[in-house]
Amino acid sequence: MLLQVKNLRCGYGSLEVVHGISLHVCAGEIVGLLGANGAGKTSLLKSVVGLLQPWQGEIHVDGRPTRGQAAWRSISHSMVLVPEGKMIFADLTVRENLLIGGYRNPDRAMQIEIVFDRFPLLRERASQLGGTLSGGEQQMLALGRALMARPKILLLDEPSLGLAPLMVKEVFTEIVRMRDQGLTVLLVEQNVTATLQVADRAYVMETGDIILEGNAADLMHNPEVKRAYLGKGAKEIWE
Amino acid sequence: MSFFDRRNEMMPRAQLEQLQLERLQALLVRLKRNVRRCREKLGEARVQSLDELERLPFTTPEDLAQCFPYGMFAFPLREIIRLHTAVGAEGKPLVIGHTRNDLLEWGRLAGRQLVAGGVTANDVVQIGLGPSNYPGLSGYVLGAELIEASVIAEDPLHLDYQLATLQSYRPTILITTPTNAIELTRLLEQRRVDPQSLHLRTVLLSRQTDTETRDLIAAGLFAAVKCNFGVREVSDPGLCVECESGRFHVNEDHFLVEVQDGELVVTTLCREAMPMLRYRTRVACEISREKCPCGRTGAVIHPGPRLDGRRLVNETPLYERQVAEVLAQTEAAGHPFQIEVSDRHIVVRMDMCEDLFSDTIWVVERLTHVIESEFLARLGIEARVVFTSPRQKHKPETVA
Repeated sequence: MLLQVKNLRCGYGSLEVVHGISLHVCAGEIVGLLGANGAGKTSLLKSVVGLLQPWQGEIHVDGRPTRGQAAWRSISHSMVLVPEGKMIFADLTVRENLLIGGYRNPDRAMQIEIVFDRFPLLRERASQLGGTLSGGEQQMLALGRALMARPKILLLDEPSLGLAPLMVKEVFTEIVRMRDQGLTVLLVEQNVTATLQVADRAYVMETGDIILEGNAADLMHNPEVKRAYLGKGAKEIWE
Repeated sequence: MSFFDRRNEMMPRAQLEQLQLERLQALLVRLKRNVRRCREKLGEARVQSLDELERLPFTTPEDLAQCFPYGMFAFPLREIIRLHTAVGAEGKPLVIGHTRNDLLEWGRLAGRQLVAGGVTANDVVQIGLGPSNYPGLSGYVLGAELIEASVIAEDPLHLDYQLATLQSYRPTILITTPTNAIELTRLLEQRRVDPQSLHLRTVLLSRQTDTETRDLIAAGLFAAVKCNFGVREVSDPGLCVECESGRFHVNEDHFLVEVQDGELVVTTLCREAMPMLRYRTRVACEISREKCPCGRTGAVIHPGPRLDGRRLVNETPLYERQVAEVLAQTEAAGHPFQIEVSDRHIVVRMDMCEDLFSDTIWVVERLTHVIESEFLARLGIEARVVFTSPRQKHKPETVA
């Protein structure tokens, strides 16, 4: 298991948003983490990388405990988060954005060429300011920036958010390619169909709890998945 | 050694326990949200480790009977695509529901057992489970189809037709009950059919049986014999796999097993329609976790006898209470009785009391016929009624 989370509880102030959940990701897997708005997906990711202090629970990355460590240390554990909304540096060029992503990588000059080979579009726009890229291109830049750290495990928070359908397809194709080349991915998404099509396994979260775990293909037919998104008011699903 | 699902069957212990904890936590959330009875029992209960399983409430066969028919379903009925009936506590009926995913998983679990028994895509599988209301037939068909073996879907029922099918379709795998397999060996002997002329490679028995019977079947049908162990309310087949070393490995990625007071207790981790938390199976059992040369990491169970007085008559479960219920439908209602169970039928011995007695022989014969017909119609069991002199005392524990 590359990432192991046990009984994680976290929240904001006195409000608990993740109620003691457990999950794991094995090497070479794409694992989807699905759920509606407010289910606690992003809080969970933040806790895993150290941006949000967990209240309770265990986090192991590659067998090493990481709970309570500062967020910047997560890169030492070969774990990189691509946050929701890309969070690229709009006033820096594409090349500068990438170099920042590889600031702890002594081979970043070589790595940037690997990233450019993977995303040829970024090479074309190397001198362009990040803020001038389209939404899809910015997402590619965010992925490229994450790859600059040569992670073993990539945590992606809603990479399809705000993208045109064609661009979503491209981003997900890229995620599959990364998995095929040995990268492990924890993919947090609201786009259920697209995620279940590319993921090996998936977890479904609802109001701070994991309610389902299973093979992605099997979850595709599970009515509980739909209910988790539409809520109990979805009468055509639940009575 | 062959595996249907090598990754899950040989999952390292640490990963398996993590997966079990995740699935147990998700199961508790679903039960609390979707099953009223469980919500009332569980309250705000949560678990942080598998050791805390013992703090959770049991589900008993009586719970299932009280919730008949759909009270234990965790999904609305429109999502349930298959309903099976099983015999529950004291012979009361139970409904076992399956969603689409449940059937898929059932097939996969049965597939694990079939592959461990040597079934491949090149095999022809004959299923002869007889008229025993055994719902496992569906599981075996689903499993065999997933392996892409050729399945003879019809159960020939009559022994003559079973033999004819064995000779004409040339199946290499026979899935049947121990009773039926023994009858088949006897038939081969009577007809002087050389078992080697059949093409059978493996006989998979629907339930565990003693070594002597296994050897008899193996010699009589000239095939390797493998056994199944399942609990109909939970998953049968599918709870475990008999490996090459003859051990029953629980599919622990799907089931959490424990032993309480010598009784097997099972929690279903993946069932959607009818998940069960700490179900008391009423089967005596021991569990060991020794390393097995087959490589499977699932716990090994050693099932024992039933603890609730359930007997098998021609592979059909029977409780004494059911006998009294059948008799209650006849003129012999409320009369003391004694039953003797054999493989194929039961003998019901009753006192010839004054109110049953008649000096006309056909009246007594009619009563006998009525009672025997009731057993066949209501329970599917062949019964023979013997009236005895009231002076012959019955054993007190069998008096209803």
